[in-house]
Amino acid sequence: MERQIHAYACRRCGALHYPFRMVCRECGENGPHEFDPVPLPKEGTLLTFTFVHNLPAEYEVARLGLGVVELSNGLRMLGQLDIADPKLGMKVVGEVEVVRREAYARRYGMVFRAA
Amino acid sequence: MREVYVAGIGITSFSRLEYPLAEIAAYPAMLALRDAGLKAVDQVYVANMGSARINNQTALGSAVVDTLGLTPTGAERIENGPASGASAVKQGFLGVAAGMYEAVLVTGCERMREVNNLEATDFVATMTHPLAEYIYGVTLPAHAAMFTRLYMERYGVTARHLAMVAVKNHANAMLNPFAHLHQPITVEGILDSPEAFTNNPYVAEPLRFFDCCPVSDGGAAVILASREKMAELGKPLIRLAGIGQATDTLAVFERPDPTDLLAVRRSAASAFAMAGLTPGDVHVAELHDAFTILEIVESEEAGFFPKGEGHLALEKGATALGGPLPINPSGGLKGKGHPVGATGVGQVHEIVTQLRGDAGERQVAGAKVGFTCNFGGFGNNVISMVFVREE
Repeated sequence: MERQIHAYACRRCGALHYPFRMVCRECGENGPHEFDPVPLPKEGTLLTFTFVHNLPAEYEVARLGLGVVELSNGLRMLGQLDIADPKLGMKVVGEVEVVRREAYARRYGMVFRAA
Repeated sequence: MREVYVAGIGITSFSRLEYPLAEIAAYPAMLALRDAGLKAVDQVYVANMGSARINNQTALGSAVVDTLGLTPTGAERIENGPASGASAVKQGFLGVAAGMYEAVLVTGCERMREVNNLEATDFVATMTHPLAEYIYGVTLPAHAAMFTRLYMERYGVTARHLAMVAVKNHANAMLNPFAHLHQPITVEGILDSPEAFTNNPYVAEPLRFFDCCPVSDGGAAVILASREKMAELGKPLIRLAGIGQATDTLAVFERPDPTDLLAVRRSAASAFAMAGLTPGDVHVAELHDAFTILEIVESEEAGFFPKGEGHLALEKGATALGGPLPINPSGGLKGKGHPVGATGVGQVHEIVTQLRGDAGERQVAGAKVGFTCNFGGFGNNVISMVFVREE
């Protein structure tokens, strides 16, 4: 099955949240479980990016691309970039992959490539 | 609410300190007590961010109060990321302002060099959103870098402007015996010369080594007291006239305008409103320049310069020692150092030193009103304070 990252839609007002919060910031009316998970779209536009050279110890790469992407539904997210020469405003498409390996766990997150 | 004054100050060198964390908190506390002429206080607040993770020690309040021989005085630790220092000062202020205490000790400390550089970077990154940021390998320099790229694009800030902040703050730090970096630098050396790329490699593009503060150990302490207590002590009357705090989304990408630091703007506006003053009244400011871009942007968001013009004021020398509004005469986080839990208290130490007229070669002539901005997370928890010298 294709892995997904979810946004959360408030059942009272419909506002979309990513990442999850327990109380809707738009209406403030909902209870703690009154959200419906909605898969995040994977297509978007690159808003800003960096290559990090000074990384936590578990990353065995010389530099890591990170960027903020505005997704096709208007939500934004941070993801890793697998793009050699990113440009502001370029179209990208993401896939959920391993983004961090810890001693006893693999963490999954979005990795973006040029669309 | 009662008026609250700074009765005493103390600081360690910000550098690598080879003694236990509780002593890094206790040493400046002893100096502050001696400065105030006090042997006891009503309450002890210890500001610290990382003891549980990087020094394997919890309940730091108990350790520090005992190290100082001040038991059974009440003591607690305040953790609020890199804004822990200002948070602890705020708690101390509230204790005195409410009338519960006459004099309190606030001491901030951090011992980050106990772990290596990679672990220190990872420790600092734990303040980011656990699922939406941290797991991707984001670091605070990475956040600052993505922010800088947008600021460059929108407002015309260049690598040269960033280097000018570093050069200014390193020069100021040369005049501060407690500063971590006593290393004069030039724009040529870190940007233009053939060796520049070796001297000044990328940390997170477009930010380079000299755009980032050092990882420091250090402690700083202040004694806060009521007006009645001040009358007994006979110290200069430096009043903590305004405090403002504001928060913003934990995940940086959620903010509607990614080039705004709204929490800085809101906290500064609250602090000025409480003090009944405006940004134009300030003579000297200590801003949280963990990255060079932050000094420029905070100088705008605090209201000293219009949005998008902080780098132009810097270019004209407006923020240099001798300029109309010296910023970070201590050297700032860039030159003085950034022991995270101590930083907010260290900023107060510098402003009080300036308002007392005790800053020696880095003295801002005639300074009567000072401002501090302690910036937590990447702008998600910010505390600004205004200090006034009364005659």
